[in-house]
Amino acid sequence: MNDNAPMVKVEKVNKYYKDHHVLRDIEMEVRRSEVVVLIGASGSGKTTLLRCINGLETIDNGCIFVDGEPIGCWVTKDGTRCRDSERALNRKRSQIGMVFQKFNLFSHMTALENVMLALSCVKKMPQQQAREIAIEQLRNVGLQDRLSSYPSRLSGGQQQRVAIARSLAMEPKLMLFDEVTSALDPELVGEVLETMTDLARRGMTMIVVTHEMGFAREVGDRILFLHDGSILEQGTPQEILKNPKSVRTKAFLGKVL
Amino acid sequence: MNYEFSPETLWQNKLFLLEGTRTTLLITAGALGIGLLIGGIAALGKTSKHRIFSVAAGSYIEIFRNTPELVQLIWIYYCVSILVGLNMEASISCLIALGLNSGGYMAEVLRAGIQTVHSGEIEAARGLGLSKYQVTIRITLPQAIRTMIPPLVNQSIIVLKNSSLVSVLGVMDLTFRAQVVSTNTFKPIEMYTAIALIYFVLCTILSYLARLGERRLVAYR
Repeated sequence: MNDNAPMVKVEKVNKYYKDHHVLRDIEMEVRRSEVVVLIGASGSGKTTLLRCINGLETIDNGCIFVDGEPIGCWVTKDGTRCRDSERALNRKRSQIGMVFQKFNLFSHMTALENVMLALSCVKKMPQQQAREIAIEQLRNVGLQDRLSSYPSRLSGGQQQRVAIARSLAMEPKLMLFDEVTSALDPELVGEVLETMTDLARRGMTMIVVTHEMGFAREVGDRILFLHDGSILEQGTPQEILKNPKSVRTKAFLGKVL
Repeated sequence: MNYEFSPETLWQNKLFLLEGTRTTLLITAGALGIGLLIGGIAALGKTSKHRIFSVAAGSYIEIFRNTPELVQLIWIYYCVSILVGLNMEASISCLIALGLNSGGYMAEVLRAGIQTVHSGEIEAARGLGLSKYQVTIRITLPQAIRTMIPPLVNQSIIVLKNSSLVSVLGVMDLTFRAQVVSTNTFKPIEMYTAIALIYFVLCTILSYLARLGERRLVAYR
């Protein structure tokens, strides 16, 4: 794959929930190692866009490519629309990490088992090797002494860091973060943002949906403002946060800053 | 009170009663097996997107939960024989009746167990690239089973107690044999106290198992 080719390419994507037009002609590109921050009011389509990028939601038209590969569906030269087989989509998903607002750790498994599961199930790794990688990943997020804790015994911040380790263990090409600090107590937000900042420094390509404007300013390479399913404005954090052009962007920033 | 206690009657009939205990346990186990199978099918039916299946499963559950066990037992024994013209052995029709009855309750237990699994966890697993089958085996079932064990054990206690109803149809279970002995020896107090104790011990063992299961559950909750 060409190193200059974008990691993510979204082409004219539309999505409807029945009559509700959730995504309108979305066009975006994310370069390798770029950190793109999606902002916008709730219901603006940020989360839906993120979920479409790893195929958790289907799109009604347009195309999404990750590392040159179409996700979920594509259009052939003669114009017919094809859908990914379940197996193909699973393989592509395993290369895209996603972290959720509500952590979504497997509640019947320890932190270590949470991280090991996909390694042995999807990557078919032997237990011993999966174990080593899982321990290494949990150490990277500072949880080496909580390996055998169940999620219910971990704080929100720790659970979210396990979730990040669980995604990173799969060595994804791209990480998607969906309001990962919104469900956390204020004093726990810092530890998760720190982990994400660290990840960005190591060159991970990231798409981050967040209301943490501090993070967007410090770590983001580019900010996209979504309104009503469209990308209304985009630019560097400087441009968007200091001199927003659109009235709606101004109004939104007025509320969150 | 003019009643002569004679505990030795119990001793003299111990094998007769033991055989009855065996029958009671067999009927309970059989009915639970049938109940789990039919309950599982009904749970799937009820959660199905197809209206025919969900309505059929729903009606089955409602009918068996909202009519008396004794009536179901008698109805299946007598009425089905007449309607189908099939002469079923009493023990077989009892197994079917008790199985259908417990299936109605188990369907709801199984459905609730599967639905308690947090949808976010399933999504996270899909996001990691697990197939639908792997999600079922590794995430949904382990969690659902742990949630379902205590109510299922409670259900088996109820089936064990309900099994005494089969004596009405002449199936030689523990209760029926106690009736036989007490009629022959005029010793109802000994006989019914003894079988009450046997039922009590069997049910206590089961509820102890249920509590053990619940304690396990707390490990990760």
